[in-house]
Parts: sequence; structure tokens; C-alpha cells
Amino acid sequence: MPERPSGDLDLLFGALADATRRGIVERLALGEATVTELAAPFSISLPAISRHLKVLERASLITRSRHGRWRRARLSPTTIASAATWLSRCERLWVERFGRLDEHLARLASQEPASLPETKTKRGKR
Amino acid sequence: MTTTTTPQLALTRIFDAPRTLLYQEFTDPDLLAAWWGPIGNSLPRDEIEFDVRPGGHQRWTEVSAADPRIRVHVRFDLTQVVDGELLDGTMHVTGQLPEGFEPFETRVRLEFHDEADGRTRLEVRQWLPEHLASPSDQGWREAFTKLDAALAA
Repeated sequence: MPERPSGDLDLLFGALADATRRGIVERLALGEATVTELAAPFSISLPAISRHLKVLERASLITRSRHGRWRRARLSPTTIASAATWLSRCERLWVERFGRLDEHLARLASQEPASLPETKTKRGKR
Repeated sequence: MTTTTTPQLALTRIFDAPRTLLYQEFTDPDLLAAWWGPIGNSLPRDEIEFDVRPGGHQRWTEVSAADPRIRVHVRFDLTQVVDGELLDGTMHVTGQLPEGFEPFETRVRLEFHDEADGRTRLEVRQWLPEHLASPSDQGWREAFTKLDAALAA
């Protein structure tokens, strides 16, 4: 079975390693919001919320747009979803390839050794 | 390309074949064409061109049997090649791709390792294309899990 890649998660995990920022992400999962709206459930200042938003923005978890005097924040689900979709698709392709390769190896093994291709040891050498 | 970062996709598979043969399955045109797929696709022999060496490439076209208009052109530009052990480079996928798959380029690394009883362990590493990974290309996959957990909390 595929193993999970291990990685340097600084940016994303850093962004999500804070309870307030996770709260903000949860809230934004329901729809976009202004800083004031986001601050409402928390007992912290608007500048503090703004700083959290900057961290989330830097991790590409949210985007911010300006409508009149209000900046609204929203989750970036497309970035996340498209990367996830792409990866799972590639993984599925590889797993399917592995299955076909297994079958092909079995077919080769059932054939006469003489029908195996020659080993091209000199192939591709400069 | 993001060549120094951690791959976002890592797959390991053990095959019941000696390492040299498994390597040939990827580097011999006739062998690769016999199994690469995807299912239902064919790889026209005259559109397969391999030059397996550092700085070389592997090219082929995947033609959909169901819809011959769907022709996917793959060019694997090889940066690192160790005979029987390693293929590493950038895979460019272009042409008429199925169902909304956009053309992309992705770094792919294939390592072939000896296992007991004449078997071979294949390690596949793949990196997210720049346009999907940028600007934070690290650990997307784990991040989704974390994000799901955070959203569900």
C-alpha cells in the first residue's frame, strides 16, 4: 500500500497549529466574513485577528478581497481541492499501473526465457 | 520545478521480478507499451522514442481506444539515470487529456531496489506541479488531513 509522504509542514501546519486560526478556518468554511465578524466569537482584538489572517493568507489557506471599506476573507478551497484531486488521481494511476505491471511480469515469467528481451547493457551510455 | 522539496506523493511496491527486468519494463519501449496504460489506451509503437541516459528522455503517446481524439503526449526529460537503479526527471504531459485534466509537468523519481528472493522494490516519488503547489508546496497531503480534522473538531 502507498506510504504517506513525510514533509516539511512548517507553513501549513504552522498556520493550523493555533486554536484561534483553526476557529477562523472553521468559520470561513461556512462562508466569507469580515474581520469584525471573525473576531466576534473570540475575546481578542481586531489587530490580533488581522495578524492571524495574515498567517492563514501566507499559507494560502485563505484569500482576502476588498469590498468598499471592508476586507473579506474566504477559504481557498479550490487550491486545496485541486491539489488533493490531482494527487489522488496520480496515486490511482500508479496503483493501476502497478497492477498491470504485475500481470505483465507474470506473463513474461510464463513464457520461454528465449522470448525475453535482450538485456541492453550498453543502451543509453554516452 | 520544485526539485528540492519533499515529494507530495510517495508509493512503494514490491514486484516479483529481478531488478534488471523491472528496470527494463520502464526503459524498453516494447515492454513499457505492454502495460503502461491507462486501461483501454494504446501506445503507438512509432510514437515511442526512448533515449535513456542523463540528459536524455522518454517520449510516447497514449491513445484512447474509446475516443481516438484523446491523445496524451508524455515526455519524460531525464536528469538522473543510473542503469538498473534510478530514473529521475520532469514528466511533461500535454495534448488532449481526458475529462478536464490540464496539461502539466511534474517531477517523477523511480528507484529500483533489490529485495530478498530476487524481488524488487519500486519507490515512486512524485511532486505536485508548480501551478497546483505554489506558493506553499509543502505537505499538502498531510495538511488536508489536518484541515479535515480542524473543520470537524
